[in-house]
Amino acid sequence: MNNSANENLRELLAGFMDEAAARQTAEDIEKGEEILGAYSAPQPDERVLAEVKKNVVVAVRRRRTVIFQRRILGAAVAAAVIVVSALVLMRYGNPPNSQQARVVAKSVLIPSRVWEGADDADVTVLKAEIDNIQNELSGAQSDDTSGNGGTAVGDLETELIEINGDMWKG
Amino acid sequence: MAQRDIDRVIIGCNKGDEGCFTQLVDMYGRRCFGYFYRLTGSRDLSDELLSELFVKLVEKIGTYRGGSFDGWIFTMASNIFHDHLRFKQRQTRLLDEHSRRIKSQSSGVASGYDGDADKMQKALGELDSDVRELVMMRFYSQMSFREIAESRREPIGTILSKVHRGLKRLRELMG
Repeated sequence: MNNSANENLRELLAGFMDEAAARQTAEDIEKGEEILGAYSAPQPDERVLAEVKKNVVVAVRRRRTVIFQRRILGAAVAAAVIVVSALVLMRYGNPPNSQQARVVAKSVLIPSRVWEGADDADVTVLKAEIDNIQNELSGAQSDDTSGNGGTAVGDLETELIEINGDMWKG
Repeated sequence: MAQRDIDRVIIGCNKGDEGCFTQLVDMYGRRCFGYFYRLTGSRDLSDELLSELFVKLVEKIGTYRGGSFDGWIFTMASNIFHDHLRFKQRQTRLLDEHSRRIKSQSSGVASGYDGDADKMQKALGELDSDVRELVMMRFYSQMSFREIAESRREPIGTILSKVHRGLKRLRELMG
């Protein structure tokens, strides 16, 4: 079955021993490999190869789904950053229109249907973080009326930006 | 097999083409099975490791960065075999089996696993596990000594010496 076409064995061995020893060693290796070739291992059953192919196809489809979920998650996190940024702007730029902001934030931050059945570990961790931030956002929006909202929303924005960075790093 | 054909299939795999992955099974399945069989002596176990290898290949194909694909896939096969050995060693300790059985199984070759071990399998069982694995890697992967040395992060002189020793001993045992 061998051999490693681009390699001159005698030349290679000559770097470690004299010419006669290199010739003898190369011969030992070649004859040993000939014996291995003469006693080949059994072949796998065709049924086994068919099963392996089936498993591979399942793995490819699963991988495709995970990649899709990651892309959607990335988009959701990016959208969340934009929403929180908008909240901060509204807080410091214009008089807040809290009711409107809440509606927008929730519509973007609750892509729960997308994650049903997600089993990739990274996706699960990121999903948990999104849920956590969603809760914090709700808390921050409540605080908004009591005067703490600006700081809380600002912290939240920082956190989302960090997660978004992690997301694209993979 | 032409490198161009392999490259074409790998491009397809990177695009998520199921047909290209199954083509890889056709191209490498038999050789990888032979490699696992010669290291484990068990058909059933070789079937399992083969399946594990190709499923892992689906996850890792994006990390292939050119060069010898044979080297890449057999390095992954070797890692899977070593993971199996570690698992067996843990299991063996837990079960507190007989010491001879521990030695036989932890070295990776169970010449009587299926009761159908051939003469070559028995002779391979006489080699040191490290030497046996190198000889098998060289034979089934068709990697050059340089590639094997790079893959194993060992000096090429050490690899040459081990393979030479192993094949010479094999000739004696088979003679």
